[in-house]
Amino acid sequence: MAGLEVDLGFIQLKNPVMTASGTFGYGEEFAPFMNLDDVGAIIMKGVYMTPRQGNPPPRIYETAAGLLNSIGLAGPGAEGLKPVLKRVAGLTSTPLVVNVCGRDDDEYFRVAEVFDDCPEVSFLELNISCPNVRNNGRCPAQDGDHTARLVSRICKGVKKGVMVKLSPNVADVAEIAYIAQESGASSISLVNTFLGMAVDLERRVPTFKNMVAGLSGPAIKPLALRLVWEVCRRVKIPVVGIGGIMSGKDVLEFIMVGASAIQTGTVNMVEPGASSRIVREIKEEMVHYGITSIQELKGSMTHE
Amino acid sequence: MIECQVAVLENRHLGDGFFLLDVAAPEIVGETHPGQFVMLSTGPGYDPLLKRPFGILDAQGDTLSLLYEVVGRGTRQLSEVVPGRVLDLVGPLGNGFPELSDKRILMVAGGRGFAPLFLSARLMAQNNEVIFRYGARSQAQLKLADWLDEIGLQTVELFTEDGSVGQKGRVDDGLTDLIKKQSVEVTLSCGPDAMLKTLARLLSGVDGLHYGSFEALMGCGIGICHSCALAMKDGTYRKVCSDGPVFPLGAVAWPD
Repeated sequence: MAGLEVDLGFIQLKNPVMTASGTFGYGEEFAPFMNLDDVGAIIMKGVYMTPRQGNPPPRIYETAAGLLNSIGLAGPGAEGLKPVLKRVAGLTSTPLVVNVCGRDDDEYFRVAEVFDDCPEVSFLELNISCPNVRNNGRCPAQDGDHTARLVSRICKGVKKGVMVKLSPNVADVAEIAYIAQESGASSISLVNTFLGMAVDLERRVPTFKNMVAGLSGPAIKPLALRLVWEVCRRVKIPVVGIGGIMSGKDVLEFIMVGASAIQTGTVNMVEPGASSRIVREIKEEMVHYGITSIQELKGSMTHE
Repeated sequence: MIECQVAVLENRHLGDGFFLLDVAAPEIVGETHPGQFVMLSTGPGYDPLLKRPFGILDAQGDTLSLLYEVVGRGTRQLSEVVPGRVLDLVGPLGNGFPELSDKRILMVAGGRGFAPLFLSARLMAQNNEVIFRYGARSQAQLKLADWLDEIGLQTVELFTEDGSVGQKGRVDDGLTDLIKKQSVEVTLSCGPDAMLKTLARLLSGVDGLHYGSFEALMGCGIGICHSCALAMKDGTYRKVCSDGPVFPLGAVAWPD
């Protein structure tokens, strides 16, 4: 029997598959399609203090094997999410994670405080990397000083583990990851979406009202894998790989370059049972490659 | 609402880019309500990445029938799929039209908006009186209207803009007079946004329940990606996939 368990230090997971924020709703939407107990953790769609309507349409644009999105974190706000968490906790024993957002540092802090006290929440993911809510796709994760300030304030202020979600839209993501680690992060997750753009040829305007949008899907997997590898070489805290994962094989690649766990993203939208399938495939691939545990596989890639 | 693989039984070009697609989907057929839709992959692999939404034209026996028009990369790929091939399907999705009985219903369909209203008409005609108006651009689309003759509707009215078949004009011509004359209590409509917008304006002061079924750019079809946001008069966005695709016409905020 393959050892799928993952120890992130601040939490133990039954397997390395988490569902990425914004691609798995609040979990309950997927109950008709899969057993929610199958995955290692469910990360809720990002939440601010107050409800948000999101960006004006169009909000998605399909690219070659990928997807640009400019959703703008539509959601019910912190108070609106609480009853949802209670409901989902009743559906599954899988750890639930809240993806903490904010327009400014104070809002990030207030949201983190609210869910730090919430018994249904296992740990927090600090989303300092959403490209779709600030001007020109800017976010705190693009600035080392801002990352240090924000991460240390949150990590000092809360009791739960804090996984910091980083942006790939920087010159040196490993440096930002290191800063997050030194500022108290329990773990790093990356990547959020790559900044991209699309143009409406007929109207000669950008497809998205926000000009730029975030690219995800299988098209970005090699880019994400390279960045995860770089971060894993630089930090000691657990790294959670995200980016275009579609199969069990993809997961093993991320683990092999050093990730402790992964998040499935866009695949959940394309195929609602995908995360469960991917857990199944990991087991099959482990048998195929003679891998006894995820722990053993982690960072086992050697350079010839 | 399930995810399954379906075998293509028939993928027939009706003309002018309109296709009739039959797939074997016994698990979906029994669960289908009029006005619902499915998300369907258009071929193997991850490019195009997303499934496409299609209104359910009919659901009988083991066969789910869809009507689609080739409008882009996905539907073009779908048009090349041959019988026997297997596609991935998620459905049935959305809330569909309300259940109605003993009502006088006017259905207004434009173009590919025919699909959900045909199934609605076939099922609702059993315990309602249904008047069906269909506006089409081409002979191929009007072939569909022949099916309406077989499902026991009170009246079928066809419109073409050039008058080559049926009445010359648009489905909204004389609409309010028809509603008054026939004591219509409910209207159900599906078609291009411009048609729904015109209907919403015409029907705003008219008694009765007026529902429209909307088309939108969808990523997931199950309420996750928030891409199919439709602006409502109350300032909120609703998701066409999971909150709709059917909304009261009067609740929708129309862009100028």
